Amino acid sequence: MAATATGPFGFAPAIAVFPLVAFVITLLFGRHLPKKGALPGIIATAGSLLVSLVMVAAVAGGNAHHTELYEWTAGAAMSETGAETISFSFGVLIDPLSALMLVIVSTVALLVHVFSLGYMNAEGETGLPRYYAELGLFTFSMLAFVFADNLLMAFMFFELVGLCSYLLIGFWFRTKSAPSAAKKAFLVTRFGDYFFLVGVVAIAATFGTVGFAGEESFVTAAETAIDNGTTLFGFDAETWVTITGLLVLGGVLGKSAQFPFHTWLPDAMEGPTTVSALIHAATMVAAGVYLVARMFGYYALSPTALAIIAFVGGFTALFAATMAVVKDDIKQVLAYSTISQYGYMMLGLGVGGYVAGVFHLMNHAFFKALLFLGAGAVIILMHHEQDMWKMGGLKDKAPVVYYTFLAGALALAGIVPFSGFWSKDEVLFDALAVGLEQPVILAAYAMGLIAVFFTGFYTFRMVFLTFHGEPRSETAEEPHAVGWAVKVPLIALGTLAAVAGFANLAPVANLLGADITFLEFWLDGEYGYVEGLTYHAYHETVAFEEGYIGSETTTMLLSAGLSLGLALAGAFTAHTLYNVPEPARHTRKLGGAYRVLKRNYYQDEYQVWLAEGLTLPLARAADRFDQTVIDGVVNGTSRISLSGSNAVKRLQTGIVTNYAALLVGGFIGLLLVLGYIGGWFA
Amino acid sequence: MAVLELPEWMALAPALLLAGTALVLFLLDSINPRSTNRTLFAGVAVLGSLSSLAVAVWFTAAGVGATGIENYGVIDLMGGQFIVDQLALYFMIIIAIVTALVTVASHDYLRDHTYQAEYYSLILLAATGMSMMAASNSLVTIFIALELTSLPSYALVAILKDNRGSVEAGLKYFLIGALSSAIFVYGVSLVYGATGSLQLEDIATNLDVAGEMGGLLGLGILMLIGGIAFKTASVPFHFWAPEAYEGAPAPISAFLSSASKAAGFVLAFRVFTTAFPVAATTEVIGVDWTLAFVILAIVTMTVGNFAAATQENVKRMLAYSSIGHAGYVLIGLAALSAEGGELVMGAAMMHLLVYGFMNTGAFLFVALAEYWGVGRTFEDYNGLSKQAPFACAAMAVFMFSLAGVPPFGGFWSKYLLYTQTINAAADNTILLVLAAALVVNSALSLYYYSRLVKALWIEEPILERDRLAQPTGLYAAIIAAAVLTVVVLPAFGPVADAALEAAAAVVA
Repeated sequence: MAATATGPFGFAPAIAVFPLVAFVITLLFGRHLPKKGALPGIIATAGSLLVSLVMVAAVAGGNAHHTELYEWTAGAAMSETGAETISFSFGVLIDPLSALMLVIVSTVALLVHVFSLGYMNAEGETGLPRYYAELGLFTFSMLAFVFADNLLMAFMFFELVGLCSYLLIGFWFRTKSAPSAAKKAFLVTRFGDYFFLVGVVAIAATFGTVGFAGEESFVTAAETAIDNGTTLFGFDAETWVTITGLLVLGGVLGKSAQFPFHTWLPDAMEGPTTVSALIHAATMVAAGVYLVARMFGYYALSPTALAIIAFVGGFTALFAATMAVVKDDIKQVLAYSTISQYGYMMLGLGVGGYVAGVFHLMNHAFFKALLFLGAGAVIILMHHEQDMWKMGGLKDKAPVVYYTFLAGALALAGIVPFSGFWSKDEVLFDALAVGLEQPVILAAYAMGLIAVFFTGFYTFRMVFLTFHGEPRSETAEEPHAVGWAVKVPLIALGTLAAVAGFANLAPVANLLGADITFLEFWLDGEYGYVEGLTYHAYHETVAFEEGYIGSETTTMLLSAGLSLGLALAGAFTAHTLYNVPEPARHTRKLGGAYRVLKRNYYQDEYQVWLAEGLTLPLARAADRFDQTVIDGVVNGTSRISLSGSNAVKRLQTGIVTNYAALLVGGFIGLLLVLGYIGGWFA
Repeated sequence: MAVLELPEWMALAPALLLAGTALVLFLLDSINPRSTNRTLFAGVAVLGSLSSLAVAVWFTAAGVGATGIENYGVIDLMGGQFIVDQLALYFMIIIAIVTALVTVASHDYLRDHTYQAEYYSLILLAATGMSMMAASNSLVTIFIALELTSLPSYALVAILKDNRGSVEAGLKYFLIGALSSAIFVYGVSLVYGATGSLQLEDIATNLDVAGEMGGLLGLGILMLIGGIAFKTASVPFHFWAPEAYEGAPAPISAFLSSASKAAGFVLAFRVFTTAFPVAATTEVIGVDWTLAFVILAIVTMTVGNFAAATQENVKRMLAYSSIGHAGYVLIGLAALSAEGGELVMGAAMMHLLVYGFMNTGAFLFVALAEYWGVGRTFEDYNGLSKQAPFACAAMAVFMFSLAGVPPFGGFWSKYLLYTQTINAAADNTILLVLAAALVVNSALSLYYYSRLVKALWIEEPILERDRLAQPTGLYAAIIAAAVLTVVVLPAFGPVADAALEAAAAVVA
């Protein structure tokens, strides 16, 4: 159906505007407001959530919405595919994907705002108006990014998201580590965004449009170009789509902390834990994967790009999971789990499992927000101690925190029937199905599968060390109490983490033959949709063959059984090693491997080397070139000019006979030149 | 418009009005030789120049020189000895404006001077000569007009009789002027010898007669160029300029460097477009005479700007900058052999107009400084903006406009000159060298112009100064020049059309 602006969709921009207003109010008047500006943020995000729900209802009612809000420039252009004009605008695209994401983002943002009352206000932090203002701007940026209808607008808000996370990670700017972590996050993601920007320009120059949806989109233009066998910038169309897609992917890998741009995320733990929850669950990191889902039609055109996405995803999932195993800081464990889980989403999207990827994105948003807020609650309990070896035995002292955290942990580990199981299983099943025909994908699947074991292990190692056993420090024996502002978001998210998986019970549906894969219907345009942006359309475009072991059902059961078994095995191993009254540091037994893992595979070291050993000398050389050659030329020019000036000045001697001689001499010189050329003396 | 009902000789009214005013001043002086009523003399002079301006503008608006049924076409006088066309009127306007500005400013500058009437009548006589130069159409009338301009100018430069610098400058100016006039008149005789005529159109028709005497004709043309180069202060005929400008009373420097230069250029435009059409002349003399202007333009620009760069004396810096600007305008002549050359010439004429405002204004600011007695070097000007913000703001406008910084008039005219030169370079690649020289020299000129602005606005004064007086006439002239420098931009449409039309008319 055509995208038209009707009824409730007129309110769509308000979703982003509410937090923006809150940002302005808090920035200007935050100091004088009760709760230091938390209230405008809470009201605004609640409003955003409400309008987002209205959007979902409207989409469920069979509508979709695509409109241009403001065109800031338009003009003639020369594009490679022959489009003669190009325009850059701000627009709103509300389709099933963006409506779903809007709800996720505004829900998490609202809960984070509420939780902050307990985490920041109650703990007597200073600079709260700044905190809430930045939180508002962050939410605004992400929401506007989500409903962006074109790549350039998406890029702009993508950058704003990056800026806000820089500001929030560096919230405690008086410490030494927070500003450094903020800079690292900013620079690493900026490096990826550099490629993204080049990609945006390349796409605009190629197709003369940056729109996501409709006949005027670059996706459609690319499809036409491939069908017509057009040559773009000297490449055949598909290769060019791969190149530009991978350029944009640079931004995605940076934001979603995929290998090799993942190094900023663990350091980003220097920000307040609430900010970590927002960054990991719904905004910054989610932005990357969401962008892939948003322009999935484009990636679907290039099997090469998809395979790269899948492989990077599978690799990152395993790579990060192994590092999480040896971390002692509760937030560090969660940080690496985030990297690993986004790896799964990339894997899912990379094998063409659009629904699986989005499903995992949604579930992860809930359970990771839960885990982070839970970790925040633990940190409150422990008087700002984050080392798990100083915890223990918190289970009985804070049952609400424990049980909600456990729900999140079960979801993260992928234990049936918690939400994470269903989505992770679907990702792995899709990967297996494609992998049976494609060896590269099979390797990615294998890595993803092995990562399941590690996930189960590190998740429950964290749970057991934190909550079980005997208290291992004085603070653990007498924890700080937590208030309702902490508990309410935990309970809300705990419930979601437990039940969100029922949105798409694909294996059950397959076994029972029941139509209960609601999310798939949702994304496949059973309700409202925008032409071309449906699972169905994507599925037709993706060129991968699918294979099965036996039948589809047996493959599905096999895959589910395998992943559940591995997750349980991981959890059980953790149980054996750490669910004892006095757990020991078993990781030391790993020997050399422990050191490698503890140092994160020397990723930071080699990136520092890249900066100090390679870039710095290069920059020095460039600087020397600038100082000597460039400046030398400039200074030399002025020196020569001024000394030339002194010489010319001396022509004027003040003696009139000299003048007469020079005058006549000059005239004769001119005469000789012209006379010689004109042949007057012949 | 009743131009038609007037007798034909009235077409020269702008020049005749100036001459008449000079005579009125003589008359007043004879009635009361001891009078130093400077307001009366200055008033009469201003009135005379303004009426000349008004008539010239009226003629232009009425369509004198323009083709078409409703217009009057070119007016020929005395068998082609004089001609009144758009080109002539355009330059009469420039000359009248500069004369008016200079006479207004002189009112205050000459406050203690004994020879008031002489001063103004000499200015008006020189202006008459310049106006006549714009309309002269034969080598004889041209020479007479030239001398009518030069002789009063020598006297004007030396009019501060008690000032050694002024007298010395006057003498040097006179000697170089005599040499140049000799060269010019010798050139006239050679051209006459080769072509047998003095009237410019006749010279053009008789070019083929020259035949074997091509070398002779070439030498004659070169000597004419020499005489013109003297008037426009182009290298190597420029040696008088720095000293005359420095020694003369500052309003006279303004007058000579703006009006006299413009008159020199109209002569060049007239003679070389009418008497020596490029193609026909090249056939006879064997060389394209624009080459001489290419060389002159580059050398003039470079010498002028480079010598200006490290001057310590403000007036001398302005003198050299005025030589540099002559180099820019010479591009208009250098490009005449190329297709689109008339557009370059139009741009050069426009630059002369804008230059008439900004350069006059700059010299008048120096006049103001001399009036205050603050000194002559850049350092003496330090911090003047604290006491005279308006005049210093106007000076900043002049400096930036001279340097060619947007949005002032000087930028637009220079920019147009540059782009038209680049366009014409498609036909004659040597013009690219000229365009490059224009850019390089403009960049260099920004250095010394902004040095002065820096002294005025940023530096702290070296000495404590008393409150500075605010002479009405000088201030009025400076502010008027500044306003004109700025508003030439919005008025640029009609001005540009006028200049381009005039250029196209003479080239065609």
